[in-house]
Amino acid sequence: MDTTPIIATTDLRFAYGDIVAIDGVSLEIPPGRIGLVGANGAGKTTLLKILLGVLPAASGRVDVLGHSVATQQLEVRSRVGWMPESNCLPPDQTAADFLGYAAELGGLPVRAARQRASDVLGLVGLHEERFRYIGEFSTGMRQRTKLAQAIVHDPSLVLLDEPTAGLDPEGREEMLDLVTRLETFGINAVISSHVLTDIERTCDWVIMLDGGKVLRSSPLTDLSTTDEVELEVIGDIAVVAESARRMGATAELIGSVLHLKASNRDAFEIARDALAEADASVRRLGARRTTLEDVFMGEEAQQ
Amino acid sequence: MTEGVVFDLGWRPHDGPRLGRAGARRALYKDGLRRVLGLRRKARRKVFPFTLMAIALLPSLFFVAFGVIAGEFDPTATLFGHSQYFDLTGALVLIFTALASSELLVPDRVNGTLAVYASRPLTVGDYVLMRSASLATVVFGFLWLPHVVLFLGRAWVNGFSSYVTDNAAILWETALASVVYFAAFAPLGFLVAAFSKRTSLAAGVFLGVITISSAATRGLIEAGFDFMGLFAFQHHPGFVKDWIMDSSTHSWIPEDAGFDASVSLLVIVVVALLSGMTVLARQRRAA
Repeated sequence: MDTTPIIATTDLRFAYGDIVAIDGVSLEIPPGRIGLVGANGAGKTTLLKILLGVLPAASGRVDVLGHSVATQQLEVRSRVGWMPESNCLPPDQTAADFLGYAAELGGLPVRAARQRASDVLGLVGLHEERFRYIGEFSTGMRQRTKLAQAIVHDPSLVLLDEPTAGLDPEGREEMLDLVTRLETFGINAVISSHVLTDIERTCDWVIMLDGGKVLRSSPLTDLSTTDEVELEVIGDIAVVAESARRMGATAELIGSVLHLKASNRDAFEIARDALAEADASVRRLGARRTTLEDVFMGEEAQQ
Repeated sequence: MTEGVVFDLGWRPHDGPRLGRAGARRALYKDGLRRVLGLRRKARRKVFPFTLMAIALLPSLFFVAFGVIAGEFDPTATLFGHSQYFDLTGALVLIFTALASSELLVPDRVNGTLAVYASRPLTVGDYVLMRSASLATVVFGFLWLPHVVLFLGRAWVNGFSSYVTDNAAILWETALASVVYFAAFAPLGFLVAAFSKRTSLAAGVFLGVITISSAATRGLIEAGFDFMGLFAFQHHPGFVKDWIMDSSTHSWIPEDAGFDASVSLLVIVVVALLSGMTVLARQRRAA
């Protein structure tokens, strides 16, 4: 598997006047589905725009797909797709016409562009609607058309800015399924979102941004790995917690759920022994999975 | 309710040729033509451009038909000669340019479509250049086609080869004059459109500025401010057209203010360059 970074930045900086939006960002991002998370104003959209060359970096270096954005911008753009958060669709064109045009703009010959427009509209579930004017589309259909225009020219990398914004739960599920499938098409994706569960579901690498700085850039599996045990019992959980503490574990009771962490022994063994000592039965026992939200809040607190 | 079904048709990567920047420019140019003419849009979008083109073309068709029926064409007749024809099309092209220039720039900015161009192998310069090329093609066709019809009609009635040999110059003169009209109006149309949020507003402001400048400058010249003749934007192309075609169809404001036609041409070029640079800067900010 090719692990050459699809995006590499070195000490990247950008400011809107006095407001620093990107502050010394250095990243090496591997191929795959990359989540870009952060609160509103963290610098996610600014970073995406710098990757496209829409905003020029004040300092630092940016390489996308092996090309310098500063000196080989058009090479980068010919292999990158962008789904912006805001609207980007002309209401007075049919989806098929606009997608064909978007493919031609990406450098595809006319015949291939028309064919791909039809194929991609089918892929995003708009084949039946392809001859309708985009102005007549619902929010969900527009989001899917936006994704379609971003991939219609078969880019190697697609930048998705808040792809599920404004979607109802069903539309969101469909959009996340589509995003998840991008990798099987050979398309790498950077997905910017402040909805952490969307990133958890779709990505295999996560970059956390806060105040224009990178809090963390690592595989999502690293973030999920934990040596804590999560325990629910039939019986008095406070007694179980007390037993666990006596055995040297850190026991945190959150509602009816007990989180156990131990440095001297395996937390599962402590759980077993504490249950036996307290004469309680297991309702649920398992490794605690850290959510992206836990990590993000923890990293933010450390900063 | 589900709005659509995701069909799994598989994904076929594009392994054919990629035309890169040249292909993107061509696509942009063709889209500009379609947009100006309302092609692949709803029927009402075609009404204005095709009505204006019909009005511009009909007199030439009428005079050709009249000449064919009468069996002769008086080449010296000035009632509706090539130079006079610009009086009609020169006024119509103002409205046409107002509508077309705003249609080319405003929707892309307002609808956010500039973001799509930002992810394609195009620069802002390419965008402005190709939009200008689309407008130039349509405006040039709008202005020149009636002359070609008139010319061919006269040639048909008066003996093709001899007429063409004797009058071929009129074709390049009218072509050159058409280019001058485009250069005089289109950059100003783009300038207004680059700062407007609505196509109708841009068209209205452009038409207002052009027509008011004529009335205002004439009044100021009569009051002794001759230099204001330089700001009679509507009259410069007509004055230069008369210079090119060696005719005198009007009392042009720059002429009344004592300026030479070459000065009018210079004003057209300077205004076009300044407008072009401003539009480029504005589009860079909007991208």
